[in-house]
Amino acid sequence: MSKKRVLVIDDSATVRMYHRSVLEAAGYEVSEAINGIEALEKALAVQEPFDLYIVDINMPKMDGYSFLRQLRQQPIPQVPAIVVSTESKTHDKAQAYEAGANFYLVKPIRPDDLVAYVCLLIGQGGHQ
Amino acid sequence: MAIQYKGLTAALIDIVAVEEAEGLLQWLLTNPDGAVDLSGCKHLHAAVLQVLMAGQPKVNAWPEDEGLAVWLKEAIKTR
Amino acid sequence: MNPLFSQFLLEGRELLQTISEKLLALEKEPESQELITELFRAVHTLKGTSGLFEIPEMTNVLHSSEDLMDAVRDGRLAYSQELADRLLDAMDFVSLLFDILETGEGPDPNQIELAKELSSSLRDLIPVTDLQSGETDSQGEARDIKLPALSDLPEDVRLRALSEAGTGGVNLIVYSPDEGCFFKGEDPFYQALNIPGLLWGRVVPRTTWPPLSDLDCYRCMIDFQALSKAPRGEVLEYFRYVPNEVAIMTLSPTAQSSTADRQDERPTYATKDTGFQRDKAYETIAVQAEVLNQPEDVAYLSGRLQSVAKALSNCLSALGQDPEGLNEALAQALQGQSSQPLRDWLSAYCEQRGIELKPAKTTAPEPVLAPPTSTDTTQAPADRRPETPTTKVLKVDQAKVDRLMNLIGELVVAKNALPYLASRAENQYGVRELSREIKAQYAVINRIADEMQDAIMQVRMMPVSLVFQRFQRLVRDLSRKLNKDVELIIEGEETEADKNIIEALADPLIHIIRNSLDHGLEDRQQRQEAGKSPTGRLMISARQESDHLVIEVSDDGKGIDPAVIKQKAYERGLLTEERIDKISDREALNLIFAPGFSTAEAVTDLSGRGVGMDVVRSTIDRLGGTVHIHSEVNRGTRIRLTLPLSMAVSNVMIIESDHQIFGVPMELVVETVRVPRRAIHSIKKRQTTVMRGRVVPLIALNTLLDIPAAPIANDEDELATLVVRIGNEPVGILVDNFRETVDVILKPMPGDLGRLSFYAGTALLGDGSVLMVLNLKELFRWQFNTKD
Repeated sequence: MSKKRVLVIDDSATVRMYHRSVLEAAGYEVSEAINGIEALEKALAVQEPFDLYIVDINMPKMDGYSFLRQLRQQPIPQVPAIVVSTESKTHDKAQAYEAGANFYLVKPIRPDDLVAYVCLLIGQGGHQ
Repeated sequence: MAIQYKGLTAALIDIVAVEEAEGLLQWLLTNPDGAVDLSGCKHLHAAVLQVLMAGQPKVNAWPEDEGLAVWLKEAIKTR
Repeated sequence: MNPLFSQFLLEGRELLQTISEKLLALEKEPESQELITELFRAVHTLKGTSGLFEIPEMTNVLHSSEDLMDAVRDGRLAYSQELADRLLDAMDFVSLLFDILETGEGPDPNQIELAKELSSSLRDLIPVTDLQSGETDSQGEARDIKLPALSDLPEDVRLRALSEAGTGGVNLIVYSPDEGCFFKGEDPFYQALNIPGLLWGRVVPRTTWPPLSDLDCYRCMIDFQALSKAPRGEVLEYFRYVPNEVAIMTLSPTAQSSTADRQDERPTYATKDTGFQRDKAYETIAVQAEVLNQPEDVAYLSGRLQSVAKALSNCLSALGQDPEGLNEALAQALQGQSSQPLRDWLSAYCEQRGIELKPAKTTAPEPVLAPPTSTDTTQAPADRRPETPTTKVLKVDQAKVDRLMNLIGELVVAKNALPYLASRAENQYGVRELSREIKAQYAVINRIADEMQDAIMQVRMMPVSLVFQRFQRLVRDLSRKLNKDVELIIEGEETEADKNIIEALADPLIHIIRNSLDHGLEDRQQRQEAGKSPTGRLMISARQESDHLVIEVSDDGKGIDPAVIKQKAYERGLLTEERIDKISDREALNLIFAPGFSTAEAVTDLSGRGVGMDVVRSTIDRLGGTVHIHSEVNRGTRIRLTLPLSMAVSNVMIIESDHQIFGVPMELVVETVRVPRRAIHSIKKRQTTVMRGRVVPLIALNTLLDIPAAPIANDEDELATLVVRIGNEPVGILVDNFRETVDVILKPMPGDLGRLSFYAGTALLGDGSVLMVLNLKELFRWQFNTKD
């Protein structure tokens, strides 16, 4: 069985690296994008669709909300997206869900939490 | 109206704001045997909670929200 | 240091740079919403990233900065000078922490204190309605809040606390709100109900209740006790606006060991117990219900519905359940463009399976990684770098470039052995053919080595903006301190030079700028009196001239009066009375570079401290550059630094004197001539000769080096004379003989010898011998300072 593919979208290289290390250790294949525009390009370009998106909100050029709204209009398989943000206010969450997120995590995220939610939303136990 | 006073019952409904504390206190002073109905209460401000704690009125019904009810049951020991 | 942390340092420094640039830009355009937003984002990102590591001091200060910027962004607070100052201070502190962390150390108590002060000074600026306390992360200081004894808690709660403590740690919290808190719009009960990770809680009266008729219902008289499984940091964070009203006790008999364990574990879902799995799954499902409740009049509703269906089906399959009927519900929903069919399906499904949809909780934020020094098994291997597809720039550790450069340097030196070999082949072994072949090969290697050298030089080239960028801040701070209006103009920031040169330039330039601001530029009033515009101009420019980097710092200040300089120099014993009248104005100006000279009328803490322009000159000399000063009274001063573009490989001429060989940097050598002894004239004790109509002073290298031997002439009684340029004047140095010029890697003198400023360094020659390279400027200065 091929590895499940996750696209991590964050303007911070540190955060991307962190997510990558955690998810790769859990057996996922990780790609990265540094803003919404690049993420959208990647989501549309790949032969094999991603299985999950991990999206930061506050990014230059195209933020996470706009990315999600755009993504949800594309003629590609619609897979779950997790928003990661430093804001924990209810309003921010609602806005993320409105834009088409399927989960909301507050940074920083513990590795096992991240993996747990990713596994659930991808629909598997994580072991490959 | 977040508190409805009907005879000897005060019904706390939805979210009971801080402004209601004074009225509830006055009502409890004039109706020492008054009871409260919390079944429709979703949240009450700490000031209102405090009045209930100090007054310890009879509680006819507890909130539906189990989480809130646990706190209130502990705070207002029914006589 | 683990790679994630290195990445953080790298990125963090860049963010800091961005932050200070934006702050300075805001100063010119305080109304710019765009700048404010960018600034907020940079602070926000940095704060977010710092939270990955256990550096609470940094996170706290950044958090306060972020809140402050948030207030500015929302228009609750106007941008002000003071605000910029405090934020800059905060960023300086963060920068300091970076430096400390890089050494592998942690912050010491001073920095922890400093972090607190900075945080509260930032928070002081936030309008009072937002916050009621300036302190962060300090609890129970103002008031003594007593934690209940465990035995005071109900039996079942106590047991729960202990068992939770055994698995992951639990916090016992007492929240004792301020009596007046109701008037500040607070609802402590709401606050208590939403404590993160809340396991249990109760509200208790602070004292026994007065008779109801005496009760002041708007004075808060109740305390809250709670048990939370959220990490202590998160609880503190949650109460960060009222830290003085909270006391926390962490119960964690075994919690400390869990961090390491958790890292070893494969952090996969399957390793967790089913309770953990189920809770999270239900939480995830509940979120989907929330998503379905969002407004439906959006263009992307179909995508949202599909993603929800996908999330639900994935989540249920992960639980081993069959999401039957889901596809049909989705089809209906898509057809009717409504969330309702999915909502119905979900509630029916949950009811049928007995799934209780609890409201989603926020997962615990806490420092998730061990401190930077430890290794972490979940880290990516060191050689793996995150792909950064949009940029083709490769970030390489400086040490790697340095190593490459050293190796190329060695290659350059090693190739110099080939000509020796060729001459030995010819002279010693008489194989001319071989000698010629070696020379041909040498030519090839020489060319490649040159190109390699050039290539590595290009890698090491950096723009001067690296140094210039901090001048905006420097000039701003200094001009404010001195109460002068100064406009700073920077030109040619993109000019490049070798990294070492760029880095070494910072200090001398800062010194020159300080001098300009301190002594050169006048204050508003003086300027107006002198008929100048009230704002002074300071210009820093960089450009490349052939193979040199030229940097000019000029101001339109009061200039330097040569008469004043002469007088000061005389007072300081740098000039004899008889020379005062003899030296030219230009020579007088150069006296400011003499050690111990300072024209400051009052020693300020800016350019004072007993360090003068002599430091500037010696630094530039060390870099193989020159300093030029031009000044006109009332018009201003211009200081020009001319530096080599790179300094890695030096071209030196080998000379012979008293049977020893020495190196002289070629950039000083004007020409080599053989002067007939009869053409040398002695005037008083000095020797001179005339070259192309110009009198050139002569001095023997042996004299400079205190070697008691006369220079040796050749058979035609000519003396080998190396004409060098010392401070714009040609000087002839008499040596015994010239030899070839070579490319060498100049290394500092080892150990104590390094302090001998007469030597610029040592170099390894192709035949393995060591060449001492002279620092002629130092030799001359010493010669004339002590013997004049």
